[in-house]
Amino acid sequence: MLRRKSITDTESLSLEDIELILSNADSFLEVSRRDVKKVPTLRGKTIVNLFFEPSTRTRTSFEIAAKRLSADLINFSSSGSSIKKGESIIDTLKTMLSMKVDLVVIRHSDSGVIKLIDRFINVPVINAGDGKHQHPTQALLDLYTIRKKFGKFEGLKVAIIGDFINSRVARSNVNLFEKMGMEVTIVSPTMLLPEDFSKMNVRHRIDDVIEESDIIYILRMQFERQNRRFYPSIMEYNRFLSLDSRRLRKMKPGSIIMHPGPVNRGIEITDEVMDATGNFGGKIIINEQVTYGVAVRMALLYLILG
Amino acid sequence: MKGNKKKNILIKSGRVIDPQHGKEFVSDIYIKDGIISKVGENISIKEDDDIVKINAENCIVSPGFVDMHVHLRDPGFEDEETIETGALAAVKGGITTVACMPNTRPVIDSQSLVKYVLEKSLESACTVLPVAAMTAGLEGKHITEMGLLAETGAIGFSDDGNSVNDSRLMYEIMRYSTQFDLLLILHEEDSLMSGEGLIHEGYFSTILGLEGISSLSDDLMIARDITLARRSGARIHITHLSTKGGVEMVRKAKEEGVRITCDITPHHLFFNDSSLTSFNTNFKVKPPIRSEEDRLALIEGIKEGVIDAIASDHAPHLDTEKNTTFKLASFGTISLETLFGASFSKLYIEEKISLPKLISLITISPARILGIDAGKIEVGKVANITVIDTEKEEEIKRENIVSKSKNSVFIGQKLKGKVICTISKGKLVYRSE
Repeated sequence: MLRRKSITDTESLSLEDIELILSNADSFLEVSRRDVKKVPTLRGKTIVNLFFEPSTRTRTSFEIAAKRLSADLINFSSSGSSIKKGESIIDTLKTMLSMKVDLVVIRHSDSGVIKLIDRFINVPVINAGDGKHQHPTQALLDLYTIRKKFGKFEGLKVAIIGDFINSRVARSNVNLFEKMGMEVTIVSPTMLLPEDFSKMNVRHRIDDVIEESDIIYILRMQFERQNRRFYPSIMEYNRFLSLDSRRLRKMKPGSIIMHPGPVNRGIEITDEVMDATGNFGGKIIINEQVTYGVAVRMALLYLILG
Repeated sequence: MKGNKKKNILIKSGRVIDPQHGKEFVSDIYIKDGIISKVGENISIKEDDDIVKINAENCIVSPGFVDMHVHLRDPGFEDEETIETGALAAVKGGITTVACMPNTRPVIDSQSLVKYVLEKSLESACTVLPVAAMTAGLEGKHITEMGLLAETGAIGFSDDGNSVNDSRLMYEIMRYSTQFDLLLILHEEDSLMSGEGLIHEGYFSTILGLEGISSLSDDLMIARDITLARRSGARIHITHLSTKGGVEMVRKAKEEGVRITCDITPHHLFFNDSSLTSFNTNFKVKPPIRSEEDRLALIEGIKEGVIDAIASDHAPHLDTEKNTTFKLASFGTISLETLFGASFSKLYIEEKISLPKLISLITISPARILGIDAGKIEVGKVANITVIDTEKEEEIKRENIVSKSKNSVFIGQKLKGKVICTISKGKLVYRSE
């Protein structure tokens, strides 16, 4: 069982915790491949998916994971904008908990919200993304995907490409990847990096890393989320940071392309690459990440509630 | 408190700090009818019913503290604090004079509101001096009746919480202030640069995914205002200085003869931005708690004499404004009650700064900036005196907070140096159990 009951960030996960989660994911991946994709492990447990920010993939992934374990799952969605000052998120949660819930999965647009909640309530919480802070289950499923592909972590070269400053995925993954002994390079333009990145391993062009990387991890470029740190244009992005077919062909044998989804076709990855077939097409493992995501989340739910 | 006769007070065997002359000596102090009547060794007074004896052995006896930057939220936000409750918190912290900022509702930008504060001050445990707005409604558009407001009793002028973004207007405010030799207290923030920022922009804002407030936001505005003050000859005071760049600019401006002074807060002295990893919203303050490099520059600034005062920037907020996400929480921490303990723990215990020097930063030095006769112990003057047990260490607990709001960044901290009694306006207004 896990030492910690709540999953708030990747930093607080020990190597033993991580190993436990990944090895359990293996057995739950097997459940998902059965004809009858259900085990009675969490029968009688109630899980709430509390999403204050829109999400399809993560919310569905948790829902499928919970249902395959026979837990009862309730979706509660509320758009971020309706939770205003005065409407206390703590009160919302306490209302939920009065109905005797065993675990809460939360996504919210404000960084640090999980720590706030963890202070006020005493049931386990899983962070499904808090603002620009952390998205630990994404990082864990990415880690699991990498292990399935390479069978190891030590020494793998990972390039994380795109909007670093606004990305909770980047924050969680850098931490976890480095913890597992991978060499992480961030590829990002100055306005999407912190002011001082002298202590980080940073490059500014995808061409600087494309040939040597084992893993090209591409972040979603959220033009709509950038308020003041404007990146000039999509054309500029394509020139310096996008993965196009020319760059795809430079990638070394055995290397892979990952993305947390959903992909902005034509921005961070071109249509040509997305639809590539053959050897190079096989590098894109975005759909496998999604499949493994269910297994990893099943493992987490089991380890917390089982 | 009005009307009742003042009890005579004898403070025995305290280590008296004289920040004006940088001296300390063991002495008794006798206060008769609210006036300091004798300072000397072995004062013996015929026992009468009215006398209050304070044994100050192993304690320091300081002039009552002067805090030139507080928010008392009165009028308009009396659920957070009132002049009365704020004054009670002040005297618990050994503070006998406060200058309160004008961001109330309505804003202190008219003579009637200045009078309101002064009247409330008469009934309060400590002296409360109103700082009036520089621009009407703090909107940064129209200059206030600075001449009239000063005549009515405004001790200084500030748009605290904002900077006046219009440089021409700021220049005219400075020029006009010279006509009356007024003090301008400046909150330095380039609001386009700070934007939606929540904490200091640096390593911790990056890992926590919280919007950053670059130190450039302060530095750009400080540079502008020094430039304007140099040209206009205005007397400016940079409040809650937080950046290394700011300390350097103030040092240089002073060398050039610009009429500039500055203060820092105890929380900028005490913490660095690594404290934000807890996401504790009490640490959400403006200017933000900055990096260790900035903090060390502030301490260096004190040692070199670049920094003139420590001011609390006491900013009360309700639990509902703080028990929320970091983004939604209000900016500010209360800090009247911890002003001395925090400063003493950092500057005296850790940094070995002398007591008279430390005390001057919270007494005579801010008094001089404000142009008031306070911050010293003098025979013939109304007694404003604070007695502190410097050996006593105390953990700051929410339940012991006197202020109406409880949003203290120091909760859970152990601070050395406890105020054991405060005499304000000649009366014993606070005594710890």
